[in-house]
Amino acid sequence: MEFTVNKSDLVRELGLSQGVVEKKTTIPILSNVLLEAAGDSVVLTATDLESGIRVSCPAKVKKPGSGTIPAKKLLDYVRLLPDSDVQVKVQENHWATLVCGRSRTRIAGMSRESYPDLPAMPEKLAEIPAGLLVGMIQRTIFAISAEESRFTLNGALMILKKDAITMVATDGHRLAMTESKIDLAGVTGNYRALLPRKAMAELLKLSAEAGADAIVEFAGDDNHLFFRIGDRLLLSRKLTGNFPDFERVLPKDQPHAITLNRDELRSAIERVSQFSDERSRAIRVLISPGEMKVYSSVSDTGESEENLPVQYDGPKTEIGFNAQYLVDFLRAVPQDTVGLHFKDPNSAGEMRPGGETEAVYRYVIMPMRI
Amino acid sequence: MERPPVKTYLHVDMDAFFVSVEELFDPSLKGKPVVVGGRANERGVVSAASYAARKYGIHSAMPLRTAYQRCPHAIFVEGHRERYTEYSRKVYDILCRFSPRVSMASIDEAYVDLEGTRKLHGPAFQAAHRLHETIRAETRLNCSIGIASSRLVAKIASDQAKPNGVLWVLPGTEVRFLAPLDVRKIPGVGKVTEQNLRAVGVRKVGDLARLDEGFLASKFGKWGLALAGKALGLDAGGWFDGEVGEAHDPKSVSHEHTFREDTADLAGLQATLLRLSEKVARRLRDHSLFTRTVQIKIRYSDFSTFTRARTLDHATHLDTEIAAAAKELFGANWTGQPVRLIGVYAQGLEHSEGQMSLLEEEKTRRWRDAMSAVDRIRDRFGESSVSLARSLQADYHERVHENPENLPGKEPRGKEPGGKS
Repeated sequence: MEFTVNKSDLVRELGLSQGVVEKKTTIPILSNVLLEAAGDSVVLTATDLESGIRVSCPAKVKKPGSGTIPAKKLLDYVRLLPDSDVQVKVQENHWATLVCGRSRTRIAGMSRESYPDLPAMPEKLAEIPAGLLVGMIQRTIFAISAEESRFTLNGALMILKKDAITMVATDGHRLAMTESKIDLAGVTGNYRALLPRKAMAELLKLSAEAGADAIVEFAGDDNHLFFRIGDRLLLSRKLTGNFPDFERVLPKDQPHAITLNRDELRSAIERVSQFSDERSRAIRVLISPGEMKVYSSVSDTGESEENLPVQYDGPKTEIGFNAQYLVDFLRAVPQDTVGLHFKDPNSAGEMRPGGETEAVYRYVIMPMRI
Repeated sequence: MERPPVKTYLHVDMDAFFVSVEELFDPSLKGKPVVVGGRANERGVVSAASYAARKYGIHSAMPLRTAYQRCPHAIFVEGHRERYTEYSRKVYDILCRFSPRVSMASIDEAYVDLEGTRKLHGPAFQAAHRLHETIRAETRLNCSIGIASSRLVAKIASDQAKPNGVLWVLPGTEVRFLAPLDVRKIPGVGKVTEQNLRAVGVRKVGDLARLDEGFLASKFGKWGLALAGKALGLDAGGWFDGEVGEAHDPKSVSHEHTFREDTADLAGLQATLLRLSEKVARRLRDHSLFTRTVQIKIRYSDFSTFTRARTLDHATHLDTEIAAAAKELFGANWTGQPVRLIGVYAQGLEHSEGQMSLLEEEKTRRWRDAMSAVDRIRDRFGESSVSLARSLQADYHERVHENPENLPGKEPRGKEPGGKS
């Protein structure tokens, strides 16, 4: 195999595929990127067996063929080259030679024979604007559980209906649910799938590169989900298991609500949480008529308190929350005002964007007992 | 510089406690070599030995089989944990009548701070004498009492007073009292330290006292500094942090089990883990504490020992949640080889439950209610009256050990604010 590519094209595409490359070295070949040169392009493939990515860049192909090269080493090296053409040649012994201007390098590759095949993308199920998908991912991804043992919570539930997409993520303490109206004529009934966090993060990268107006073609088979944006294809194994019945968790009865300025609330919480227990991040909010007090204390370090004016005439209510959970929402919500809905210190609270919003966005947070 | 006021501490140490309690229930044991801990041919160690048995070189922590070799005609008894706990509590109650500041150091020894009790009980020696008499009268058990200006010297004095004596080390005479004693008499000085001290020519506490503090610090670090202080009769070193009678929260709670025979039976091992988890959870609830980190210990037949820990995403004191973490850790780390000992530890203890669960709050609440009912039943009818079903499969054999739960004074049950009501 022998081809010539533009350095910045190669760096961009290698960069996009880098997140998928296996970090652990249990299967050495998965640390490599598969290069396949044919026609007028070279196709780059990376996979960790859970997810896979296929990207390409225009190339002058002198001799079609394929080979694999350590992905990180390749990117780290090419990035340092001057911005011009790079000539790549992979020999029978799997060694790759890179020539760029006066630079010449040989990298030990591995046979492509042992590189796993990615499943083929089935017929597309829906077309989703990248901007819409990005918004939904950003509104939910932070609520995904970081605990590996809770594997059904290591991703988001995605539900496609003929007129809407719903995305839900929870770590068992808080839950983010968002729903966007969209015409998906091709979808019949409810299409449900669990999308792993890693795939969501990669989707954000691919969408950012393609722009908000790009269209994401979506498809799924029994085990995999496929997202194609232009020439780039991301695929991911579905998470297995039963996602919790989120509708049961969404509060139905919340007698009290206050509206707050997002940035003021966020700054207040961030300041106060400097004096919360580092591990639990516990802060308290005390909502009384006309005023909301946010405060915290660490017995041996200090204490901090902030007062925010609110319109409220219900009973005095004090609730403990994990400051991080509140801030996560305030960072993700695009609107300037937010509503805090609550019942009592032992029931789930809920935050929503203030005012009329296009997309449904509900964020349910369980309190802390302090 | 003003001298701090001289304190007066008693160290009360029950004489051959387990054996003496057994003798109350079976007077025929009196004066005979008795070994508490298990049967002679069993695995396990000696929990206590009568004075007659000690003459054969039997001491606590010695393997039962060794004890049998030393004295084949000794009487081996299993021991009755609940009896010791009951008598320990009786002693504790008596001590509390003499001073509000009482710390049980273990099931059979306690420190009493006599500060402010002079009007009520008179001078220290008189108070100690009356205490000695009262314990004897109300429990029919002998004890030995050391009186000194530091807990360290009081403890060493009670040891010198044994059996059934009271010894007062007058303030100012501590150094002279300690000087002729072997360094091993200092609590915390074991074989290793003893050997290291011998290497620098130290055999007696007096030799130690003559050494330069800086030299000891350079040789043994912090421990060396503590040793220098101890040699002068001071409560030096972390062991004596805090005052007598202060409620301390434990830093961790653990239970271990040594199998009678090494076992690779998965169901039995899991049942034992569950039983240990139940006990750990019970103690957490008694202290109104919650754990965030569950650790297990596995010791195989060849004594190779592994610990593995998992941090939970929320704090808990529920049997089921601790057991689930322990079981998962075990499943992921057990090699399949026969196990000699397993243990369950709760660490990262917190005073509040913290984050509530969104998905399982209902379930958690039901378990919490159930466990508080179970605790009440166990309080009335004993620890083994209620168990999770699977833990009943454990070949579990309650062994007495030095620091059982429910130890009065050690266990501020119901005393802390916000404790169980």
